[in-house]
Amino acid sequence: MKFTIKLGDKEYPIEVLEGEEEVKIKVGEKEFSFNKEEKVFLAKTKFEKRKFKEKKILAPISGTISEIFVKEGDFVKEGQKIFLLSAMKMENEIFSDFEGKVKKIFVKKGENVKKDQILLIGE
Amino acid sequence: MRILEFEKLESTQKKAKEIAQNSKAWTVVLAKEQTGGYGRKGNFWYSPRGGLYFSVILPKTKIEDLQILTILAAFCVAKILKEDFKLEPFIKLPNDVYVNGKKICGILTENIILGKEVKNSIIGIGLNTNIEKIPRDLQNVATSIKIELKKEVDNKELLKKILEELKEKLEIIS
Repeated sequence: MKFTIKLGDKEYPIEVLEGEEEVKIKVGEKEFSFNKEEKVFLAKTKFEKRKFKEKKILAPISGTISEIFVKEGDFVKEGQKIFLLSAMKMENEIFSDFEGKVKKIFVKKGENVKKDQILLIGE
Repeated sequence: MRILEFEKLESTQKKAKEIAQNSKAWTVVLAKEQTGGYGRKGNFWYSPRGGLYFSVILPKTKIEDLQILTILAAFCVAKILKEDFKLEPFIKLPNDVYVNGKKICGILTENIILGKEVKNSIIGIGLNTNIEKIPRDLQNVATSIKIELKKEVDNKELLKKILEELKEKLEIIS
């Protein structure tokens, strides 16, 4: 995989090569290699970070809230169904990606929402 | 492409949603009849034996592209009805296909969204193919290829054709 990163006015050609045991990243003439174990470790670190993210649900697309399955004060689990959002051509089942208490719901059933509008925050 | 065929299901859409997490993209759930077929807003879809009812587990795709795909799916079906069966289809947006003023096909896309991420997307298509008789209360609003053409069609072949078209369209837009 080859691509270019532009920082300021300078362009850096990058090439990523995946071998049996290692991943090589070439930046111009310089070469960096990682073994695959390290790569797994990096991915794990990234995953752990999720714990610190904000507890909120945004509208993934503009549409109408056709069902709300929770109320304020409810305790929700990760993967619990929270909203049904009907867009013009699709039904979207929105599940929680956090565990916690529902602090505030900003929308009512039947309300039109815009993409990225905050629907709910948790704590 | 893997096709899971069932004699009877409550809904192919429901089944596809159940298995989506552990299935490969382009897995197809096909049923000869549905006891609880549904369309948008949970509206009932009359699904007796003879019709073509299937749901496709789609590859991970941007939500905006899925919206376009749903509209394109209606065009795909309409194109096949026109070119292969010489019918005069009419697309009622967002996603129904009509022939002679009566509904012949319904399309529904459902997305499973976890937080901001689209986990799974399923497109379901109900096409009235070899349905001989439509119940009286639906006679003014629904029709089938068999009623329109007085002949049977090969559901499997039609399925293959629709799937190929869908795949091609998704590759173009995403």
